[in-house]
Amino acid sequence: MGLREHVRNLALLAALGFTLAFLPSALSVYLRSFVLFTMMYVVLALSWNIISGFTGYTSFGHVAFYGIGAYACAILVADYGWHWLPTLGVGALLAGVVAVAIGYPVLRLKGPYFAIAMLGAAEGTRVVATVWDRLTHGGLGISLPSAETSMQTYYAMLVLMVVTIVAAYAIGHSRFGVRLNAIREDEVAADALGINTTFYKLAAFTLSGVFPAVAGGIQAYKVLYIDPPSVFFVQITIAMALMSMLGGKGTVIGPIVGAVILYTVQELTWVNFPTAHLIAYGLFIVLVARFMPRGLMGFAIDRGWARKGMVH
Amino acid sequence: MEQAVDSSRRLYLLASFLVCAYALPFVVGAWAGTVRLDERWLANLATVVVGGLMQGGVYAMFAVGLTLIFGVMRIINAAHGEMVMMGAYLTWVCFFYLRIDPLLSMVLTLPVAFLIGLAVQKLLLDAVVGQPELTALLITFGLGLVMIYTTELIFTTDFRTIPYAPGTLQLTPSIAVGQNRVISFVMAVVITTAVYVFLKRSRLGKAVRATALNAEVAMVCGINVRRVYLITTGLAVALAAAGGALVSIQFGFNPETGVVYTLQAFAIIILGGRGHYVGALIGGLMLAVLENLVSLMVPNGTAMVELAAYGLMIGVLLIRPGGLMGVKED
Repeated sequence: MGLREHVRNLALLAALGFTLAFLPSALSVYLRSFVLFTMMYVVLALSWNIISGFTGYTSFGHVAFYGIGAYACAILVADYGWHWLPTLGVGALLAGVVAVAIGYPVLRLKGPYFAIAMLGAAEGTRVVATVWDRLTHGGLGISLPSAETSMQTYYAMLVLMVVTIVAAYAIGHSRFGVRLNAIREDEVAADALGINTTFYKLAAFTLSGVFPAVAGGIQAYKVLYIDPPSVFFVQITIAMALMSMLGGKGTVIGPIVGAVILYTVQELTWVNFPTAHLIAYGLFIVLVARFMPRGLMGFAIDRGWARKGMVH
Repeated sequence: MEQAVDSSRRLYLLASFLVCAYALPFVVGAWAGTVRLDERWLANLATVVVGGLMQGGVYAMFAVGLTLIFGVMRIINAAHGEMVMMGAYLTWVCFFYLRIDPLLSMVLTLPVAFLIGLAVQKLLLDAVVGQPELTALLITFGLGLVMIYTTELIFTTDFRTIPYAPGTLQLTPSIAVGQNRVISFVMAVVITTAVYVFLKRSRLGKAVRATALNAEVAMVCGINVRRVYLITTGLAVALAAAGGALVSIQFGFNPETGVVYTLQAFAIIILGGRGHYVGALIGGLMLAVLENLVSLMVPNGTAMVELAAYGLMIGVLLIRPGGLMGVKED
C-alpha cells in the first residue's frame, strides 16, 4: 500500500472524526448515547482484533480489561474523589499490568485452550470483584456522583475511538503487524525466522487490553453505576468477537463495520422486540458464525470486490 | 525421551498443585476460625466429602458429554450447560404435567435429547469441524442464548425444583447423605459405565474412539466419520440431558443456571485431560469435593466456590495442559 493510500485513509478518518465531533448538538440525548456506545463497541472490537484477529489467539475473556477499567474509574471517583479523566489512565495502566501478568503464562496455550483459559480468567476477575468488597463494594456495585457528563463522555469516547483506529491501522500496516500475522499463520515457522514470538504476542495482548480499559472507564462515568455482573458480562466479549467476525477478522476496517452494524441491529431488535430480542440476537450469532465465518470482508473478497489476502 | 522426563516431572508438579488446592480451604478455614478439630466438625467434614463425591457423579456425567464432543471433533460446546438445563426442564415437565417419575422419564427425555443432538450436528456443527475454534464457540454460544431465552419465555426465570426422595440416608452414626443424592449418584455411575462399555466394546463405540484418535486414518479404514460425528453429538446431548434430570431432583434450577454448568464442565475436562473419558469421571469427583470443602470452610463461600473451578482449570492448563491423564498436545 502506497503513501497516497495512507493519506487518503487518514483523510477519511479525519472527516469521520470531524463529522462525529459536530454531531452531538444536532442529536437528541438518546441518539447521542447511541452514537457513544457505537463508538465504544468500535473500540472494543478493534482492540480484540489486535490479539485475536492479527495474532490468531482467540481471547474469550477480554471483558476482564473492560471491567478493570470501569472499576478503576468508579472506585477512584466515588471513594477517593478524583477527577474522572486521570482515572482512565490509571485504568489503562492497571489493565496493561494485568494483561502482562495473565498473558505471560496463558499465551503459551494454543487454540481452544487459550480461549477457555481466558474465559476462566475473566470469570475469575468477576468473582474477585464480587468478593473483595472492601475495595469494590462487592455485589452492591458502585454509584458515581452524578454530573452533567453526556458531552464530556461523548468527546472522550470519540478521542479514544480515533486513537484506537489509528493504532490498529498503524499496527496493521507495520512490520509489527506483519510479524503478528506470521505468528497467526505458523508460529513455529515465525519462531524459526527469528521473530521473538513470546514478546510479540505479549505486546499485542497488552495493547489489546489497554483500550478496552479506557472504554470501560468512560462507560462507567457515562452510566454512573457499575456492578460486577454488568461490567464483567460475558456477552461483551462475545460482542467483540462477533463484531470482528462479522466485519472480517484480521482487518482494520472489518471490526469497525462489524461493530456499527451489530450494535445497530442489537439496538433495533431491543427496541422492537423487547421480550424476544435476546433470542433474535442468539439466532443472529449462530447465523453469522455458521454462514459467514470470514465476515463481510471475506464475502467481498470472494466476489473480487476487495484485495485478496486481507482476512484471516 | 527428554519429553517423557519432562512430562513426568510435570505430573509431579500437577500433583503438588492439586495438594495445595485441596489444602487451601483448610488453611483459609483455620485462619478464619471455621475449622475446629472437635468430633462434630470432623463429622461435618466427612459428610461434606461424601456429599461431594455423590455430587461429583453428576458433574462427571455432564462433563463426559462435553469431553466426547471435544475429543472427537475438537469443538468446545459452549451450550453444554444449557443442554443440561434443558434436560432438567424436560424432566420437570414430565413430572408436573405427565406425572412421570423423574428417573423413569429419562426413557422419554433421553431419546428426545439424542434427536436434538442429531439436529444440532447436522444443521450447525458439521460445517465447522476443523475450522478455527472461534466459529464453533460462537455458534454454540449463540445456540445457548437461544435456548436460555426461549426457556425463559416459556417457563419464566422462577427457580424450579422437583421434590423427590427428600429423606436422608444414615451411612454411619455421624454421616448422613440426602437420599436424592445417593440415587442420582447411582444413576450417574450406571449411565456412565454403560456409555463406557459401549465405547470400549461395541463396533460403533470403537469407531468413535478411532475417529477421536485420528479422523483421517479412521476415514481411510472405512469408518463413516460424519456418522460418527452425528452419534457423538447425539450421545453427548443425551448425557447432558441425563445430567439435567439428576440435577433437577437435587438442586433448584432456572434458565440461567446452565452457564455455571458449562464452566464447571470445562474445568472438569481440563483437569481430567480433555477428550479422556475416565479423566472426566475423576475430574468430576475431584471438582465436586473441592467445591464442597470450599463452601464448608471458606467464608463468603458461594462466590468462592466458582473461583475453585476457574483456579483449578487455569492452574492445570499452565502446569500440564494434558491434565491428569496427560493427553498429548495437538
